[in-house]
Amino acid sequence: MDEKAILDHQFVVAAYIATWVIQLSYVAWLAFKWRAQKRAAGRTGRNPQ
Amino acid sequence: MKKLLFGLYAAIVLVLMVWGFYMAIYVAPEDAMQGEIFRIIFYHVPSASVAFVFFAISLAGSIGYLACRRNSPNGAQVADAWALAGAEVGVVFCTVVLVTGPIWGRRAWGIWWTWDARLTTTLVLWLIYVSYLLLRRFAAGPQVQTLAAVLGIFGALDVPIVYMSNRWWRTQHPAPVFGGSEGSGMDPSMLPAFFWNMGAWFAWGILILALRYRVERQQQKFAAEEAQAALNENG
Repeated sequence: MDEKAILDHQFVVAAYIATWVIQLSYVAWLAFKWRAQKRAAGRTGRNPQ
Repeated sequence: MKKLLFGLYAAIVLVLMVWGFYMAIYVAPEDAMQGEIFRIIFYHVPSASVAFVFFAISLAGSIGYLACRRNSPNGAQVADAWALAGAEVGVVFCTVVLVTGPIWGRRAWGIWWTWDARLTTTLVLWLIYVSYLLLRRFAAGPQVQTLAAVLGIFGALDVPIVYMSNRWWRTQHPAPVFGGSEGSGMDPSMLPAFFWNMGAWFAWGILILALRYRVERQQQKFAAEEAQAALNENG
């Protein structure tokens, strides 16, 4: 592998990792929000479905 | 039953994502001009497509909210939840576009960013929808949903401008790969990887859009119950 190919590969890896970090961070935030809702519903006796 | 279907769909999405990744990295050939860096297209372009479609869902929800808010309060709340979910998940995908694009640009053009029409209109689109989300998060009062719906409609007007920008103006960003001028298009050997990733990212997007919609509907129900309880206490 020449230097250009190695750099290209590193940039592709960076782009793919950045994509998954963004997506999974959002899903984690969503899951956190959902759990908080369920807890709040449990405290007030509401049905969280 | 709902949980089973959800689990099944999530499993299909996972398989699609793994298959899409395999196709992008191991099956699609290197681009003759750009080499391996071209593989960013398999995440960059589908993310842009999903963002556009979800902003369109947000537009439909915003119009639905404005149309129903007096006659059908429940229908308006459903439309508003779709508007919010579409905008929020659309921003997530648009963020991916704005991060992967400069990474690609740094290798392909030698620069992270340039103020050409495609990049600038995409950044403006992202800023409009981020301001939509900030409005919904921090503003209070009975008019917030109406103001957000109006902003959502104006924000969606930027989507066709972003899409057409590299057709209307000369840009650093490449000309359209699909539906561009004569000679545009992708080598047939790359198409399976492209379309598998397009399908996988749409499936993933629909999954998190549905989750976000559900969370918002639940939030609306809690808010309505709290308002009713406050009325009962005062009455």
